[in-house]
Amino acid sequence: MKRQVTITADPINESSLLSRRVMSPGMGAVVCFLGVVRGTEGSANISGLEYEVFQRMAEHQINLLLDELAKRWPIESVRLVHRVGLVKVNEPSLWVEVVAPHRGEAFAACQWLIDELKRVVPIWKKPVMGDT
Amino acid sequence: MRVKVSFYSYLKDLTGCATTAEALTNGSTLDDLFRALVVRFPKLGSMQNATLMAVGVDYQNRTYVLREGDEVSLFPPVQGG
Repeated sequence: MKRQVTITADPINESSLLSRRVMSPGMGAVVCFLGVVRGTEGSANISGLEYEVFQRMAEHQINLLLDELAKRWPIESVRLVHRVGLVKVNEPSLWVEVVAPHRGEAFAACQWLIDELKRVVPIWKKPVMGDT
Repeated sequence: MRVKVSFYSYLKDLTGCATTAEALTNGSTLDDLFRALVVRFPKLGSMQNATLMAVGVDYQNRTYVLREGDEVSLFPPVQGG
């Protein structure tokens, strides 16, 4: 399974990512997920989230998840971008793309990867208070 | 032996530092390290059950036996995405 993992302080450029998609003729499904910063935290308005990462461990843990994902589903490729640092409201913090022969495994693998990422990958976020 | 310790997220605020070092007797475990750190940083005590610990880039449980030069990280539950 091909994989590309990027943890960066740069904004996520969705159109650039989409333009660089590569898939073989046997593939029939592409699932893309975009996680976006909400403008509220509980009942308070926020202007963004400040993400902190333990980069070396985060990359390692994501690669362990991708090892497991490749055992569970016949996935051709996964690309994952997680933004860190300050991410303003309405901006994406996470972009995931899963390419597979069929939609069932593409949806399942994408959902599983994001759930597991939120459980084990050492990234934390702190709300930045104030209206946007 | 000495181990390096890094704190992440609000554990940095509780301890007032991002990194430190701790001297331990040979055969000490991660649990021994945590207890020693609570003596130096009492506010960590309230995080006893909510602190995750890693050695290098892998999670380890509290019974893990430390070795000279290990790099230990302590952090609260993760919140990526």
